[in-house]
Amino acid sequence: MSTEKIRILYLDDEEHNLTSFKAAFRRDFEIFTTLDAGEAVTILNEHDIHIVISDQKMPNLSGVEFFELIIPDFPDPIRILLTGYADIEAVIDAINKGQVYRYITKPWNEQDLRMTLINAHELYINKNALRKKNDELSKAYNELEKFIYSASHDLRAPLVSILGILKLTRLEDIDPKSSEYFGMIERLVSRLDVFVQNIISYYQNLKQGELITPINFDLLLDELFEHYRFFEGADNVRFIKNVNQHGEVKLDELRLKMILNNLISNSIKYMDTTKVDSYMRVSVETENQNTVISVEDNGVGIKREDQKRVFDMFYRTSEVTMGSGLGLYIVREATANLGGNVTMQSEPGIGSTFVVAIPNKP
Amino acid sequence: MTEDKNINILLVDDNDIDIVVNTKLLRLANFKGGIQSFHSGNEVISFIRNNANELQSMVNVLLLDIQMPGVDGFETLQFFDGLDDSIKATFQVFMLSSSIDRNDIIRAEMNPIIRKVLEKPLDVYLLRRLIEQ
Repeated sequence: MSTEKIRILYLDDEEHNLTSFKAAFRRDFEIFTTLDAGEAVTILNEHDIHIVISDQKMPNLSGVEFFELIIPDFPDPIRILLTGYADIEAVIDAINKGQVYRYITKPWNEQDLRMTLINAHELYINKNALRKKNDELSKAYNELEKFIYSASHDLRAPLVSILGILKLTRLEDIDPKSSEYFGMIERLVSRLDVFVQNIISYYQNLKQGELITPINFDLLLDELFEHYRFFEGADNVRFIKNVNQHGEVKLDELRLKMILNNLISNSIKYMDTTKVDSYMRVSVETENQNTVISVEDNGVGIKREDQKRVFDMFYRTSEVTMGSGLGLYIVREATANLGGNVTMQSEPGIGSTFVVAIPNKP
Repeated sequence: MTEDKNINILLVDDNDIDIVVNTKLLRLANFKGGIQSFHSGNEVISFIRNNANELQSMVNVLLLDIQMPGVDGFETLQFFDGLDDSIKATFQVFMLSSSIDRNDIIRAEMNPIIRKVLEKPLDVYLLRRLIEQ
């Protein structure tokens, strides 16, 4: 904290009050006094005032009215009202409205008033420090938002173009050696893309924005399966779709995709290479109120000691290094955001099943 | 089933590579209709305006990138909205983007002109199913 003097502005229509205030406190504080509200505003404009004291009873406007007048332009200084017992109701009202920090009854006790002023200054310092921190914080948050936005375009756009080219190499006639290499590149780029998407979705899930649209699970799963068919290791996994949709279901498609993307890619990632028939089954059952989605596999499963913590942020199971530690955390957060819940059952060496239950939107 | 020869796809993307990729993906998926590509929103809108008569008899599919320098996908939509109703009625409009920014997607999905926001690279099978719907 700086050693600069506490600056106090005192407005009163009685000259002798101003004089005796000055006499009592001028050694400790830097004091500005005035008889006129207009001049008080000028002083506020010209000096960085910490505390404003005003008499309540003045001929043209009351102390409370004066405070009301200056609050919009000078919200920071701590306001203290000087008053006789007669106008106690106006004072209580002002305190309740947050316009006044303290009121001092006249005649004041010098010792008490000094303490009040010192406390008021401390409050001023704290309030300002807090405001500064808040400003810094919202600035940092805005920058983060901007970063996420540009990351979602500038990082992802070229990745997606590369994936497009690689998709072409799969469809065109290409010699086997090259196509093997392209396949490797595609798997790595897909992995990077999932990571970039997860980072972005993690931040975006925090936002309130919601988009409720009718969901056609058949079509949605076809789209996702088509995308994951070329994921690393996916050629050895049988994708099974089991949709039982009755009538129209409305949900937030973006969050739904976030959940499915992570569960499906996990099933592929953690498949058991020792098994002859690896599969990943996505089942959807829509009921009146709820949609229940389960993603089941016969992969490596999750060790008992890891099971409790798989949904935690940045938790990675011991032996696997490819995950970002964000995937299941995003699943849980996005599910919670949709008002649903996610449960898991897993047996090491047998497989895992994740069940997501989400209430349908009207 | 709409016959391919009656379908005319208009690709709008500032990125040449994506235009090549998407055109090829359509052809490799055996799409036999028309494909035209444009590098900006302005280009495609004046094309539609100048060729309204020929387009009138077609099923037109506009695939619009969101992020473009200058006139972006959303502004292009505004221009599109200013076209004659008779020509607008022949169009199905999709956003085709790599953006997964929630605000972009929500904004696009909320727009009544947009049928759906599609992700790059283009899933031709999905697009076909949507056009048929």
